[in-house]
Amino acid sequence: MTHEAPTGRGATARNVGLVAGREYTERVKSRAFVFSTLLMVGLAVVIALIPLAFRVMERATVTRIAVAAPDAALADRTVSILDAFLNASADGTTGGPKPFVFEVMPAPQDAVDAVADAQVAGAVIVERTADGGLDFQAVTIGGLGQDKLSLLQLGAFSVGVLDWTAANPNATNPFVPPAFAVIDAGAASAGGDGAVDTSEYASRRIVGIVFVVLLFLTLVFYGLWVASGVVAEKASRVMELLISAASAPQLVLGKILGIGLAGLTQVTMILVPALVMMVLSGQVGNAMLGEDPGAATSLAGLSPGLIVAFLVYFVLGFALYAALYAGAGSLLSRAEDLQIIALPLSIPAIAGYLPAVLALSGSSAGFIRFASYVPLWSPFVMMARLSIGRVEPWELALSLGLLIATVPLVTLLAIRVYRAGVLMYGQPPTVRTFLRAVRGS
Amino acid sequence: MSLVVDHLFKRFGSVVALDDLAFEVQAGQVFGFLGANGAGKTTTMRITLGVLEADAGRVTWRGIESHRLPRSTWGYLPEERGLYPRMRVLDQLVFFAGLQGVPGERARREAMAWLRRFRAEDLADRRAEQLSKGNQQKIQFIAATLHDPQVLLMDEPFTGLDPVNVMLLREAFLELRDRGRTVIFSTHQMEVAEALCEAVAIVDRGKMVVGGTLREVKRATGRRMVRIAVEGDHRLPWLSAVPGTRVIQAGMDRSTVELDVGVEPDEVLAAAVGAGARVRHFEIADPSLEQIFIDFVGRPANEETHLATLEPVAGAESAA
Repeated sequence: MTHEAPTGRGATARNVGLVAGREYTERVKSRAFVFSTLLMVGLAVVIALIPLAFRVMERATVTRIAVAAPDAALADRTVSILDAFLNASADGTTGGPKPFVFEVMPAPQDAVDAVADAQVAGAVIVERTADGGLDFQAVTIGGLGQDKLSLLQLGAFSVGVLDWTAANPNATNPFVPPAFAVIDAGAASAGGDGAVDTSEYASRRIVGIVFVVLLFLTLVFYGLWVASGVVAEKASRVMELLISAASAPQLVLGKILGIGLAGLTQVTMILVPALVMMVLSGQVGNAMLGEDPGAATSLAGLSPGLIVAFLVYFVLGFALYAALYAGAGSLLSRAEDLQIIALPLSIPAIAGYLPAVLALSGSSAGFIRFASYVPLWSPFVMMARLSIGRVEPWELALSLGLLIATVPLVTLLAIRVYRAGVLMYGQPPTVRTFLRAVRGS
Repeated sequence: MSLVVDHLFKRFGSVVALDDLAFEVQAGQVFGFLGANGAGKTTTMRITLGVLEADAGRVTWRGIESHRLPRSTWGYLPEERGLYPRMRVLDQLVFFAGLQGVPGERARREAMAWLRRFRAEDLADRRAEQLSKGNQQKIQFIAATLHDPQVLLMDEPFTGLDPVNVMLLREAFLELRDRGRTVIFSTHQMEVAEALCEAVAIVDRGKMVVGGTLREVKRATGRRMVRIAVEGDHRLPWLSAVPGTRVIQAGMDRSTVELDVGVEPDEVLAAAVGAGARVRHFEIADPSLEQIFIDFVGRPANEETHLATLEPVAGAESAA
C-alpha cells in the first residue's frame, strides 16, 4: 500500500528542511569549505593580533630624553611636568606604556654627551639664573621634531610657573597643569548617544568597515554558492529528478536556507576566534606591556546592538541576494556560464558598497540616507550608518521594513523564474530568456 | 479508474509540442508511449507531473487533475539521467524518498532491499560519480520507485542499458504491475514495447496517431501476416499466384508474408498446397509494432538508427 502522502504546509516544511539539510551537509563537509574556513580563521586571527603588534612596536619606539638640572628637586619637578605634557593621551588619561621616557643626568655635559652618542633623542638642560629664574635648553640632533619641541617649550613654561609658585608660598592655590582633551566636532554631533570622543569614533569606523566588508563579501560569495548549486543540479541533470519530487518553492527556499546556514556557520567560525583573540590579546598586551586604555578601544565601537543589527541585515540581505542568485542560476545550463552572471549580479552589491564606505567616513549626504533605505543596498549602507551612530529610529524602521517587504516579493519572482528556468537547457542567459522564464513559458 | 490525457496543447515559442493529444491509460497497466524523438513524450510526462503547464487541456488520474494530486502519486524516471555526483548512493535514495514523505529508516531499508534485488547492494556506499551509466540508471529507477507511487512515468527507461539490465528492468516493471501499480513508459524501441505493453499510444509531432490495447493497435491497419515454413525453395515462388501478398522477411527457417487488407490467409495456404510445397509451419500473425508504426507515421520510430535515403550522386546519370 502506498504511504500517506502529506500535503500542504507539512510537506513544504519537511521538504524545505530536507533540501536545506542536504545542502548544508554537502557544503560544510566539502573540502573547499574546510580549507577556506581555516584560511579565513587564520587571517582573522592575524588581523585581530595587529593592535597588539602595534603596541609592541610602539613600545620599541620609545623616545628617551635626558634631563639635567642644578638640583634634584628641580630635576624631579621638570621630569614630572614634561612627563605630564608629553605623555598625556588625548582623553586625558595616563598610564600604559609611555612614549617618552626621561632620564635624569648628573651634569649638563653628561646629557649633551648622551645626545651625541645617540643614547637619547634629546636633552633638556635646566639652569638657574642669577635672578632666581630658570633657563631651558633643548639639545637634539634631529631626534625631536618641531611638535615635540613645542611641547617641551610649553613644559618649560609650566616648570617655570611651578618653580615660581614653590618659591612664593603665599600663593594659596598651587599651580596644576590644566586637563586637555581633543573633541572631534563631527563625531560630537552624532545623533542618538551624545558626544563621542575621537578614539571611540575611530573604533566605530573600524568596526563599521569590518561589518560592511564582511556583509559585502558574504552576500556576494554565498550568493554565488546558491547560483552555482542550482547550476550544478542542472548540469548534472539531477534537477529533473528533484523537480518531480519537490516543488520549486521548496527547492528554492531549502537551498537558500541550507546555504545561508552554512554561510552563517562559516562567519561564526571566523568571527568568534577573531573576537576572542582580540579580547585575549588586549589582556595579554596589558599583562605584558602594562595597562593601556587607548588600546582597548579597538573593540569599544562594538556593541551588542550592532552585532544584532549585523545578524539581522545578514539574514535579510542574504535572503534577498540568494533569491536573485537562485533565479539567475536557474537560467544557466553549464557551470562555465556562471562567469557570465557573476559580474552583473555583483553590480547592485558594489553600488551599495560605495555609499556605505562614504557613510563610514562620516558623510550623511542625502543620497547616502536614501541608499540606506533601498533594500539591495540597505544591508551595507545602514550597517555603516549604524556603526558610526547617526541613525534616527524611524530610518532604521523604514530600512528594515522595506527589506522585509522586498524579500518575499523577490523570492516569489525567483521561484517563478526558477520553475521555468530549471527545465530550459542550452539557452543563453539573456534578458529575453529571463522574461520568458518570468512568463513561465 | 484511469489516467486520462485530455486534449493537451502546448507550444514552446513557435514550436508546437503537443497538438490536441488525448489518450487513456487503464490503472494497473503497463503502457507504452511510443514516438520518435520530439514527438512530445517528455512534454506530456512533465505536464502530468505538474512540472510544466499545458496551454490547454488537462491530465487526470482517477478523476482528479494531476497537479492537485500529491507529488508522491508519481514516480518519475527522467530521460536525462542525473544524480548528485559526490553523494553516496544510499544517501541519495534516502533523500529522494524523504522528499516524497518516506521516513528515513524505512527508506534506508527499502533502498537496500531494491539494491539487493538489482544485485547492486555493493553500490550503496559508493558515490554516484563512481558508477557506470547502467548502474546509475538502476539507482535512478530505485529513486523513482522507492516511495511506492501509484503511477510510474518512465522516460526512455531502456535507452543505454545492456541486455542484462534490460531484463532486470523488464522484470521490475512486471512486478510493479502485479502489485497494482500503473507503469507508463516512453520508448522508440518498438520491440521492447511489443514484449512488455498491454496497451500503447503512438504519437507523432504532438498528435495521437493510434492507440489502444496492443491487439487493437496491431489490427488497426486491417493488415495481417502469415509466417510460413516450407521444405525446399524458401523464396516461395508460388506466392505470385496470390495477389496482394509480399514476402517482407525471407528466411531459411520461416518467412513472413504480408497480406493486403481483404486477402485471406487461407488463400496463401491453398496456393502453397496447390503448388505442391510441403508446409511444415503455418501461422496467422499480426504485423509487428515496428511495421504498424511505419504504416501510421510514415517512417521508423528510431529513424536515426537507419541509413538515410540514398541521394542520387551528381554525375551518376550522365555516366550511365
